[in-house]
Amino acid sequence: MALANNPVLWICVAGVFGVIIIQSVIFMNAARRAAPSVGMSTQDIKTSFRSGAVSAIGPSLAVCLVAIALLGLFGAPAVLVRIGLIGSAAYEVSAASVSAGTMGAKLGDASYTQSVFAVAFFVMSIGGAMWMLATLILTPLLRKGDAKIRSVNPAAMAIVPAAALIGAFSCLGLTELPKSGTHLLSFAVSAAVMGVCLLLAKRLGTSWLREWGLGFSIVVGLIAAYLAVGA
Amino acid sequence: MSSITSAPTTSSTGMADFNRTTSRWGQITMIAGLLISIAGPLYLVFFGGLDIAAAQLWIAFAAVAATFGIIWIVEPLTYYPILGPAGMYQAFMIGNISSKLLPAALIAQTNIGAKPGSKRAELAAVVAICGAAVVHLFSLAFFVGLLGTWLISVIPPSVLLVTRLYVLPAVLGAVLVQAIVSMKQPRTTVFALLVSAVVVFVVLPLVPSLAMVSTAIVVLGTILLSWILRVKRFPAAPAIRQE
Repeated sequence: MALANNPVLWICVAGVFGVIIIQSVIFMNAARRAAPSVGMSTQDIKTSFRSGAVSAIGPSLAVCLVAIALLGLFGAPAVLVRIGLIGSAAYEVSAASVSAGTMGAKLGDASYTQSVFAVAFFVMSIGGAMWMLATLILTPLLRKGDAKIRSVNPAAMAIVPAAALIGAFSCLGLTELPKSGTHLLSFAVSAAVMGVCLLLAKRLGTSWLREWGLGFSIVVGLIAAYLAVGA
Repeated sequence: MSSITSAPTTSSTGMADFNRTTSRWGQITMIAGLLISIAGPLYLVFFGGLDIAAAQLWIAFAAVAATFGIIWIVEPLTYYPILGPAGMYQAFMIGNISSKLLPAALIAQTNIGAKPGSKRAELAAVVAICGAAVVHLFSLAFFVGLLGTWLISVIPPSVLLVTRLYVLPAVLGAVLVQAIVSMKQPRTTVFALLVSAVVVFVVLPLVPSLAMVSTAIVVLGTILLSWILRVKRFPAAPAIRQE
C-alpha cells in the first residue's frame, strides 16, 4: 500500500489541518469582537474555549483509537482526513465497502488492489464533499429562515433517514457474515461489546462508555479474530 | 486580537459583524477544505499510475449516493438549529459532530450560564468548537499521525494482516448496534434486517451481479416498507446520531 502513503496525500492532510486552524483563528477573533455586544466577558470566552477543549479530550482520543485500527486498511493520510476529520468511521468505512463492491472487490483481502483503494478513497472524499456542499447550500437558506425547508413532513423526517441508515448498515454488516467464520465471529463479538457498552452507559449514566464504545468494540472484535485465526 | 476595548458596539451591529465575518470566511474555508480533501484522491486516480476508467468512478459514486444521498441533505438540516450558521461551517469540516462537538458546545454553554438559543449561547458554541478543534487536531497529529504510523511499523505482520482482513466486520457490527439503539425505531429495524437478510442470503446467491447495488436496494426497500407500514401519528423527528 505504498500508494496510500503518497507524499501528495500527506500534503493534502496538512492542507486540511491548515484550513481548520485558519478557520478557528478567524472565528475566535470574530467571537471575541462580538462578545461585548451580547454581554459576554473575556472570562466567558476563556471559559467556553477551555470547556470545549477539555470536553473534547475523551471523544477525540476515542476517535483516535478507531482511526488507528483502520490505519492498516486505508493508510495514515486517508484515515486522518476521512475518519479523523471531515467524516466519521461509520460512513467512510461503509462508503469504501460499497465502492469496493462495485468493482467486485472486498476491502482487506487479496482483491483489495491499489486501484480499488484509489476508487474507494475517491468516493469517500466525494461523499464527504457532498456533505460540505449541502452545508454550503443549505446554511444560507436556513439563515434566511426559509419556511419551506423546515416544513418537511415530520413523519417523513423521522422515518426516512433512520430507515436509510439502519438499512445501509444492516446490509453492509450482513454482507460480511458469509465471507468466513472469522468474519462472523468478529462481527458478532463487536456487536455484543457495543450492546454491553450502550447498556452499561444507560444503566450507570456514564456517557464516556458511549463515546468509547466503537473503539472498544473494534479492538475486542479484532482480538477475537486474531485468537480464532491463531487457534 | 484584543479589540474588546475598542469602540463600544451595540448588540445588533456587533452580531451583524460576527455573522458577516463567519458567513464569508466560513464559506471560503469550507470550499478550500472541500477542494483540498478531493485533491488527494483525484491525484491518485489520474496520476497514480493506475488504470481506472471514469465509468468505475461514476458507478462507485452512484452506489454510495444511493445509500447515503438522503443523509447528505438531512444531516445539515438536523444540526442547524443546534449549531447555528457559524457552527455549521466548523462542524461539517471538523467532523464527529454528535460525539464530540455537540457535547463541547453544550458544556461551554452550561458553564457560562448561557440560555439555549441566545446570542451568548451561539458565541459560546463557536468558541467551544474552536477549543475542541485545537485538542482534536493535536491528538490526531500525535496519536494517529506519529504514534499510529510508528505502531504500524513495529507490530508483527501477522497482526497487521488480521486487522486488515477483519476490521470491516468489527466496525460494522458495532455501528449497526449503535444505529439501531440510537434511532429507537423497532419497526424500521425489523424491516431493515429482514430486507438485508433476504437480499444478502437469498437474492445475491441467485443473482451475484446484483452485488453492486445490493446496499441501494436494501436502503430503498427499507424506506418503502417503513413508510408504507408506518404507525400513523409518529412522534417528533429524533436527531440523527450516527457518528
